[in-house]
Formats: sequence, structure tokens, C-alpha cells
Amino acid sequence: MPPVVSVRELRKSYGQIKAVDGVSFDVQEGEIFALLGPNGAGKTTTVEILEGLRQADSGTALVAGVDVRKDPSGVKERIGVQLQQSAFPENFVAREIVDLFALFYRRRVDSMALLRSVGLEDKAKQKQEKLSGGQRQRLSIAVALVNEPRVLFLDEPTTGLDPQARRNLWELVRAIRARGTTVLLTTHYLDEAEALCDRVAIMDGGRIIALDSPASLIQALLGRGFSKPIVQQQANLDDVFLDLTGRALREA
Amino acid sequence: MRQILGYTALLLRAYTRDRTAMFFGFLFPLLFMALFGVLNFGGSVRVDLAVVDEAKNEQSAAFISTLGKIETLRITTTGDRDAEVAKLTSGDRDLVLVIPSDFRIAPARPGSSVPALTLYESSAQPDTAAVGRAILSSVVTDMSFAATQTAPVVTLRREEVTGRELKYVDFLTPGIIGMTIMQLGISSVAFAFVAERQRGVIRRVMATPIPRRNYIAAHVLQRLILAMVQVLILLAVAVFAFKVTVVGSLGALLLVTVLGAVVFLCLGFAVTGLLATENQAAVATQIVTLPQLFLSGVFFSRDAVPAFLKPIADYLPLTFLNDALREIATTGATLVDVGGDILGLFAWAVVSFVAAYRLFRLD
Repeated sequence: MPPVVSVRELRKSYGQIKAVDGVSFDVQEGEIFALLGPNGAGKTTTVEILEGLRQADSGTALVAGVDVRKDPSGVKERIGVQLQQSAFPENFVAREIVDLFALFYRRRVDSMALLRSVGLEDKAKQKQEKLSGGQRQRLSIAVALVNEPRVLFLDEPTTGLDPQARRNLWELVRAIRARGTTVLLTTHYLDEAEALCDRVAIMDGGRIIALDSPASLIQALLGRGFSKPIVQQQANLDDVFLDLTGRALREA
Repeated sequence: MRQILGYTALLLRAYTRDRTAMFFGFLFPLLFMALFGVLNFGGSVRVDLAVVDEAKNEQSAAFISTLGKIETLRITTTGDRDAEVAKLTSGDRDLVLVIPSDFRIAPARPGSSVPALTLYESSAQPDTAAVGRAILSSVVTDMSFAATQTAPVVTLRREEVTGRELKYVDFLTPGIIGMTIMQLGISSVAFAFVAERQRGVIRRVMATPIPRRNYIAAHVLQRLILAMVQVLILLAVAVFAFKVTVVGSLGALLLVTVLGAVVFLCLGFAVTGLLATENQAAVATQIVTLPQLFLSGVFFSRDAVPAFLKPIADYLPLTFLNDALREIATTGATLVDVGGDILGLFAWAVVSFVAAYRLFRLD
């Protein structure tokens, strides 16, 4: 089966700065794939090119079988997105936000069912700006699913969430993948990538410097003779925190 | 189309939850109207009319008594022509009407001329003179008509004549409507789009396949509908709560409203294209709207505008809009009568549409 996302020698410069400098990778149907890297590594630029929001200077990108450069709106029809630093219009209740975006895709959806699938059915009549951070992220995922996308792009979906909300979102992402949707995400959290992703690409300076499954990357590192100076603890602070506060979602 | 209409409907529903927008869109203009309506700034127009009766016959007396029944007119009949004209010059009179010695109310006999009333006006008071002239010519027309039709009802259309008595709220209401449309067009567009651009709302929408023109069309349509609703509510409150007399047709008012709204929406989109932050929006909308608020005759007659600003004031979009609305509402003008203003609005619509098309950007 051909890859659902296929990127070859993608380049994008802003003046002197090479934001994306020859990136190539494939994402297979049904994968959870992450782009990792420090700030300014080129993750968001890469993702926004794939989403049809920016034009690459050169290189090709096929998303769900559509050439992003030739048919950006065709790509938009087939993907779901969650953008960094974006927001929904104010004074709309959660359910109207879903209806609104369905309208943008010229689709009719069961907005209550979609809200239920992200655990927001009891917030349907709440103004979206009154939702908590985690709830808003889940609403934004519900919105990204209105067009039954083949690929879901999540740009730093868990930034700013508390540990409970993060784990809740991971479960949601797994459930979406279980329904056959490919997920391509970016994150700063390496534990998130390790727990969630089938494969990760590590970017730095606009290039991909490593690409494999988390386990293989760790094995390769150990194979190069790496050892941690301190013996791995049986538990970490994350475990303590979750043990003390539980895994239930906290929301006003 | 379903996309545009559906989006418009959702935008309208969201608008009803936006308390700030509702306040500035509906309550604020009503407060203005209430405030100025209660103060009754300027009072009602009164015309000091001196009548010099050189005929002194039964018919001239009847004519004078007819004039006496009109509330707007304050009539004196004591002086002679020279004395009264002198008082007109000094500003003690607004108008002087001279009834010639051959005055009579009867069909003209063949070969003889019709008696001519002479009306002296003061160039210092063009407004009051115009009101007085309108009343007098209406009375004279009525009388002539009555005489030639041999139906002796001089008082037949007197009600309509007194109906022309302009209260300040009558004058004010079209101005407030014009102001509201201007605010809706410019401020609501500038603040909404600048804020949505800054918060990343537009970025999110542009990540969906909705065409930009549909997105903008829905926002324009929503505001056109709002403009109509605002005007209808303002008119309803004006008529029922402040007893404002609207003489002209509602259809004509709404048509002019829509045209005005189009002009100001285009201007709003053009201005928004130049703005990046909400602070800039606050300054820019004031720069565009404030001069028009004072120069375009919202609260006071444009006669108060200093002469050196007149050439500008006469061509501001709100001037055309207010003049047209006011002519229709207070004198019953038709769309043809206000053709000049409509032409002016059309010109502004074209110019501002081109500007909006060039300047406005979504991201």
C-alpha cells in the first residue's frame, strides 16, 4: 500500500533562514507518526506545508494522494488539522463550532455524536471560550474530524495541559487511530512520543536527523555504547503525581 | 450558497450572545436618541413671520387667519413694508410676507394678471426661511386650488402643513440611523477581523476548504441584515416612544440604508486591511468615524459646519447618507428626489469597494 503522506526534498526559506532544508519521509496508513525537535527545528513549517497553508520553495509532498502544491484545497478536503496558536470564533457554543466547521467542508454531521466521541457531550451548549484548555483541545480534535479525514495533523496538541488531560488526549488519539485514521503530530514531550507513536522523525536545523520507531532509536543509541550515569528508577515523579492525584480528568 | 447562508445564520446567532456588540449596536443609539430626545435640543422650529396687509379686504383677512392657525408660524401684522423689512435685516423677523393691494382669492380674469405675494427672506437664516417658505407655498397652493375648484375648503390640507413642524427628534432620528450604520460598517468589521486575525481564528478557518469569498460574503451578509434590523428597531422606537413623524416611505429608507451599509462595510474592510493590532483599530476607526460624526449632520444641521470645511463635509459618505435619510424621513422625499445623494453613495461604494479589494487581506 502506498504511503498516505509522502514528502521528498522539501525546502522552505524565510530570507536567509532555511526553515525546512531538504526534508523527506513517508507516513504509512494507520500510523501515529511524530515530528520531534527543539523550537525552530522546522516542525511547524513542515506540517503547515503539508496542510496546504504554506507553499514550499521546492520539493514535493503528496498527502492522501493529492499533490499539496497543485491542489491545496483538495488536501484540505481530505485532512483534519489542529493548529498551533489558533482559536475558534467567540460567542459560539461548542456544538455550533462543530456545525460551523462541518459547513466549511459542506458536510452534514451529527455534531452531538462527534462531541460524545471526544467526551464533550455535556459541554455542547457551553461557549467555546469558556471551556478549559483540555476541553478546548478535545473540541478542536472533534472539529478536525468533521470531514472524516484520512490524515489528522496535530501540532503540539498537549502543550499547556495538565498530566491528566495529556493522558486523556493520548487515549483519544489512540482511539482515532484505531478507527483507521493516520495521525501526524508534533510535540516537545519525548515521553509523549515514546508512549504514543509508532515512528518518530527527529528534526534539527530544518533537516531530519533520525527516523525510526522509538524502541529502535533507543536500541541504536545503546548499540553505540551509550549508558546513563544514573540507574533507571523504578518510578519517576510523573508516576508519583498520577498515583497521588489519580487519572481522572480535572475540569471546572 | 447554502454554505454562505448557513454561516450567516450561525454568525447572527453568535451575535445575539455578544453583549458588547448588542450594546453598541442597539442600546447605544437608543440611549443617544433618548438623551437628545428628552433634552429636545434646539426645540421645535419657530418662524417669525411679519405679514404686511396692503389689501385689507375680507379675503386677505381670511388668509391671515389661516396662517395664524399654523403652529410653527408666529405672526405679527402691525408694521408696514419698510419697517418690517428693516426688522428682517436686523434679525427680528425671519420672513416678511407682503399681501398686495389687489389681493383676492378667485380664478384669474382673462387679460388680468394674478396678484403676487411678495416674500422677503433673510440670507442670515436660510433654514428657518426654507421652513417658512415651504409652509407658505403649501398654503397658497391649497388656496389657489380651492378657489379654482370652487370648493371653499382652504383648511383642507392644513393638517399636513402643521405636520411639517420639525421637532428636534424628527431631525435627529435619521442622523442616529446614519451614525449607527457607519459604526456597524467600520467598527464591527475592523475590530472583528483584526481580533480574529490576531487570535488565529482566520488561520484555522483557512485550513478548511471554504473559499475566501464565501467566508467574506457571509460576514457581509450578516452585517447587512443587522443594519436592516437596527434601522427597523430604531425607527420603531423613534415612532412609538418619541412620537417621531416619518413622512417618507419605509422601503425607500431601507434601500438607502442598505446602500449606506454597503459603502461603510467596504470602507471598513479597506481600513482593516491597513491594521495589524486592536489598538491600531481603535485609533483608525476613530479617525474615520469621528470627523463624519461632526461634519455630516448627525446631531446638528450641517449649516453649523465652518465654511472652510464645507467642501469636505459636503462629500463625506455619511453626509450623503444622512441627507438622503433625512429628506425621506422628514419631508417625504422619494428616491428620485434624493437622487444626488444616492449618486454620491454609489460613487463612494465603487471607490471603497476597489479600496477594500486592494487592501483587505485575511491573514
